[in-house]
Amino acid sequence: MIKKLLVFVLFALSVTFVGCSPKTENIDTINDQGKPVMQLDYRDFDRAASQMVQSLIASGSLKKEGGGKYVLATGRIVNDTMQRVDTDQLMAKVEKELMGSGLVVMTSTVSGGTSPRDSMVYDVRDVRDSEKGSEFKQETLQAKGQLIAPELSISGKIIQRNIRYDNDKQQVEYYFQLQLTNLATGLRSWQDETIIGKRGDRKHVPW
Amino acid sequence: MRLMLNTLLLVVAIGLWGCKQEDKRVSMAADVKSDNAAVNIVTKPVIYAFSWVAGEGIEIDRAVTYTNKDGFMELTVDGHNRAFNTIRFEYKVEWLDKSGVLIDTATSKWLQTSAAAKAPFTIKAVAPRTTAVDFRMNTRKIPK
Repeated sequence: MIKKLLVFVLFALSVTFVGCSPKTENIDTINDQGKPVMQLDYRDFDRAASQMVQSLIASGSLKKEGGGKYVLATGRIVNDTMQRVDTDQLMAKVEKELMGSGLVVMTSTVSGGTSPRDSMVYDVRDVRDSEKGSEFKQETLQAKGQLIAPELSISGKIIQRNIRYDNDKQQVEYYFQLQLTNLATGLRSWQDETIIGKRGDRKHVPW
Repeated sequence: MRLMLNTLLLVVAIGLWGCKQEDKRVSMAADVKSDNAAVNIVTKPVIYAFSWVAGEGIEIDRAVTYTNKDGFMELTVDGHNRAFNTIRFEYKVEWLDKSGVLIDTATSKWLQTSAAAKAPFTIKAVAPRTTAVDFRMNTRKIPK
């Protein structure tokens, strides 16, 4: 009798807990009303990218004298946070918007750090210069001296600082820094910083 | 007669004092500027309560657009906060082309801003496409 009762209680408890578990739901990424989190989330990258792109376009640094478009390469973007951040979360948006502006074309031939570079550019040339190259119609192979070198480079850093706010709270500051450099002269024509600050429970570990 | 004249002068003086226009470009915080009904220890709770009940908040004074030398539309929105507390809110600027079609851009995101109590504020935005000829802007409370 007791055993039956115990089984029943366990069953009732398990049903109760299943009913209490939060449902999985898709995030409304257009009008997300979700609570802020201590870590960097996609909304922070959206904000940083939006502000950086607007600042860069408004600066006029991408307007090429005499017309045409600059060839832009993504340099090294340093992740100096305590989180495993793929810096492409920021740069993919920035690159997309800059290309969309009609002011620049991005190059996939060179890049700094872990920024995206299309290895196929070099793979096809390796094939061309190898014995396998004779297997291809020669006029379809990439000719030498066709690659276009970048004129500008965009590089930057994401920094995190953790500060004890009071006994219960901590403050986490994230600094998104980007800069634009003319590769011919080495001169920097634009740079900006977006700060995203969060305050929350000290128990929430921001990494 | 003299009493009437003095009374009239007093009323005019009070009237002129009340009409004294402050430069709207300069906003003095309640705890910085000199005492008035809004900061007076006796009347302050009433004024603040009235402000809260009346639902005072953000008002937009003007929105100015112009095309910069590179052909990109720039937007400046000037407004002011009528409330007695700082108001933080989010805004999203979306850009429209000459056909009124929404331009798909990653810059049209909810961005945060803040307006200090009884103070003006400015929001600036730059269209990321030269095809933008118009805009629309939404605001919302910051999710908590």
